[in-house]
Amino acid sequence: MVQNHHCEDHETVGENKEKRPKFFINDHVDILIEILKRLDGRSLCVAASVCRLWCTIARNDSLWENLCFRHVSPPSSSVRSVVLALGGYKRLYTGCVRPVRSRLGRMRKASWSRDEVQLSLSLFCVDYYERLGGSNSSGRLVGESSPSSLMFLCKPVNI
Amino acid sequence: MVLYDSATLGGSCSGSSSSSSSSKPPPLQQRQQTQQDIDGFLAGAGYRVRSSELRKVAQRLERLETAMVNSPADLSQLASDTIHYNPSDLASWVDSLLSELTQPPTCPSEFIMDPVSNQTVVSDAWTTAEPHMPQVHQNISYEQQSLNNQLTVVPAMEEDSGIRLVHMLMTCAECVQRGDFSLATSCLEDMQGLLTRVNTVCGIGKVAGHFIDALSRRIFQGIGGGSVNGGSAYENELLYHHFYEACPYLKFAHFTANQAILEAFDGHDCVHVVDFNLMHGLQWPALIQALALRPGGPPLLRLTGIGPPSPDGRDSLREIGLRLAELARSVNVRFAFRGVAASRLEDVKPWMLQVNPKESVAVNSIMQLHRLLGSDPNRNSPIETVLSWIRSLNPKIMTVVEQEANHNQPGFLDRFTEALHYYSTMFDSLEACTVQPNKALAEIYIQREIANVVSCEGSARVERHEPLSKWRTRLSGAGFRPLHLGSNAYKQASMLLTLFSAEGYSVEENDGCLTLGWHSRPLIAASAWQAVSDGTADFPA
Repeated sequence: MVQNHHCEDHETVGENKEKRPKFFINDHVDILIEILKRLDGRSLCVAASVCRLWCTIARNDSLWENLCFRHVSPPSSSVRSVVLALGGYKRLYTGCVRPVRSRLGRMRKASWSRDEVQLSLSLFCVDYYERLGGSNSSGRLVGESSPSSLMFLCKPVNI
Repeated sequence: MVLYDSATLGGSCSGSSSSSSSSKPPPLQQRQQTQQDIDGFLAGAGYRVRSSELRKVAQRLERLETAMVNSPADLSQLASDTIHYNPSDLASWVDSLLSELTQPPTCPSEFIMDPVSNQTVVSDAWTTAEPHMPQVHQNISYEQQSLNNQLTVVPAMEEDSGIRLVHMLMTCAECVQRGDFSLATSCLEDMQGLLTRVNTVCGIGKVAGHFIDALSRRIFQGIGGGSVNGGSAYENELLYHHFYEACPYLKFAHFTANQAILEAFDGHDCVHVVDFNLMHGLQWPALIQALALRPGGPPLLRLTGIGPPSPDGRDSLREIGLRLAELARSVNVRFAFRGVAASRLEDVKPWMLQVNPKESVAVNSIMQLHRLLGSDPNRNSPIETVLSWIRSLNPKIMTVVEQEANHNQPGFLDRFTEALHYYSTMFDSLEACTVQPNKALAEIYIQREIANVVSCEGSARVERHEPLSKWRTRLSGAGFRPLHLGSNAYKQASMLLTLFSAEGYSVEENDGCLTLGWHSRPLIAASAWQAVSDGTADFPA
């Protein structure tokens, strides 16, 4: 049935090329957002490199919030205020959630447990605290190194 | 000729033989039929091996490799005595080497290590090889150098050097305990010589190096420990921070203590945490965040941080307090901070903490209580003083994390032995960390502990670690009863360890306490306690 439709289009396109407007996704930002909402982290980062509009949308923290808590029952609103205060969902995802989930082997599984959420949030909080130290004080406390409490998450897993 | 168990080599042999068989392309085979099936590829490298014998030669090469790695003594003989008449004839060369190697060799290490030892050291096995002996003696020093240059031999050599180092360390420690400092000094010199032949970048060489330093500090600089304990507060904090980053021990301590405190504060609206060693306050962000998200909303949190006074007028305690306050403000937790500067924990008096009778108190001690165990006959035992005023505060919970080691024995040799085992294990676990400069500075942190345990005495020795069993007795005797750390703490600790890429860490539950160790040797133990109310408490429960 689809093929017939295409055949028809093919016949009509040649005749009515100027009359049929092409569908351009950037004109339909709401659809674009719906699509981007369903992507995984890596694809979302890739999508952010497509064009300025996509970059702006992908930077929207609510997309990343969706990514973090996609398969979990929506957490209380207090979580959102805490996460936003500590640096936002995108940072939470890239810095903590993704490495924690991959290390714990849960990338394939849909949901993740409350304990993992807690642990990610705690690690995220320590990271925020260290970032505070680097920017606020003269930096003497943390030394010249950038905040590194999450560095252990960045190391490749020893198989 | 001794026949090695070919079954053990079977697996690897089949691999090698299959690879060698696949290296025989059919066209070459036709060309070489006139040359008695000499393998074409090996011929290109200069070796003449019959294709039909490839599998056998591969097997023999593997046996030869095993033999070479396992008995370095024979290698010295091979280096000097074996004459190869036809190196390109790989098969017969390997066979001749194997037959020489399978002469029964024994006591390899001592023979090589003591070039000037007399011949009575040599075991009977060598007497069967009489004609070789004089040559081997003469060539020993040459071979030792050549052995040291051959990288392939280093592992086996090093094991022997490592074991010898450990024996010498024990001998030296025993001399120190006996007071025989002249013998101890000569031991030290020998060990320093031995160190040059051992890999000091990792393994036993590195740990031995630190212990040798500590011993020489004890012998030559006395037990006052001036330079060991003289680090500035800033230095100590920096080293502590890098130790925190490099390995999970402190993270485990913080997360476990936080979980216990969180559970104890459930339902309380006014809470006060007393931290016996604030450092950079890395423990508290996670607690603040957890309190912010707890069902029912966050309580009013007061934190009292105890730390050493900062020398240069900088109020480091206050700076940490400000940082924590800013974090608490961001997550909407009402927070108040108070810093208490004290160089020793026993100088702190309970009135300095300003505990409000209506609030729930948690006392948090991460590796601080052991510092109070030095007993001075002129004063009251500091640990009893501190424990009694803790008890008078009637805390809802006291979290205690201590090193799981027995470094407070009166006998020096026992302490030394125990410390050698403990810190070797800890350094092993540190090998897994690859992040610099964390690792190097973490090692300096541990090195300072070693120096304190080994080279200091009396009031200078503050690293008086005691195992969990002793702490249990002590705390129960002081009027505390244990609180079991729940399964949540265990789950969190296990998850935290899974995040670390090293595979050797293990969390164990020990009668309500959690211990973190490396390959089943526990290195740090976390426990929780509550004051037993007996009606004489100063504050109502």
